[in-house]
Amino acid sequence: MIFVTGPLFSGKRNYVCQTLGLSREELAQRAVWDVQDLAADTSDLEELAEKLSACEIVIASEIGGGVVPIDPEERAAREAAGRLACLLAVQAETVVRVVCGLPQVLKGELPC
Amino acid sequence: MFTLVIGGAASGKSEFAEGHALKLPGRRVYLATMEPFGAEGRGRVERHRCQRAGKGFETVERYTDLRGLETLPGTNILLECLGNLTANALYSHQGGGAQAVLDGIGHLLSRSAHLTIVTNEVCSGGTDYAGDTLTYMQELARVNRVLAAWADLVVEVVCGLPNVLKGVPV
Repeated sequence: MIFVTGPLFSGKRNYVCQTLGLSREELAQRAVWDVQDLAADTSDLEELAEKLSACEIVIASEIGGGVVPIDPEERAAREAAGRLACLLAVQAETVVRVVCGLPQVLKGELPC
Repeated sequence: MFTLVIGGAASGKSEFAEGHALKLPGRRVYLATMEPFGAEGRGRVERHRCQRAGKGFETVERYTDLRGLETLPGTNILLECLGNLTANALYSHQGGGAQAVLDGIGHLLSRSAHLTIVTNEVCSGGTDYAGDTLTYMQELARVNRVLAAWADLVVEVVCGLPNVLKGVPV
């Protein structure tokens, strides 16, 4: 599994399409994105990470960079999203962070 | 050489960008894009002025319409910062939107020898935004991506330390 992370609007899906030569339709078949939104709705993050790891490409936005939210639910959601990203990075063969559309490999190697 | 320096608030990106610009030849111009509102704005400008003192930068203030800026050929420009410039373009009267920012930077690139731009990372603090804030985030992120594609060197600054995303530092 390739895990792609990075700030919001940093060009993560574009990067995957360009690097792997995928159309948007193919991306929809082979990748899941915005998985940070799934983290809040589960009681078992490890199970979710395991399930997501069966996908070829998993994409998440980094959302933990701002101030800790006052709202407890938002706080829990943000925490869960961060934990999920860590679990996905452990499962992944390759982890890429995209900033300003530019990739940086944090783990493994890019598929040729 | 075109350099884009990105980082979060108070990450040390200005200091890094300045140090980088000082290594490049040419007449140094500091292009300030923040219109100082109130005591906080004036304090911020003062802090940056002190930081630059004695480094040989001529300060030019320009909040919008970079295309209309007379730039001497061969200058070494440090523009700070794109976050303000984009906000000005989006929200001030006749600002011209994000496209005006890109056109303006294209203009600077065609005239200067070296251009270093400081920009902000504002998109890693969550997704719970709407309206003008969300538009600003989307537009600034788009401008950042376009400029990163144009740039020879892209550096993310974290805790004052450079993380090179593209190119080779001087």
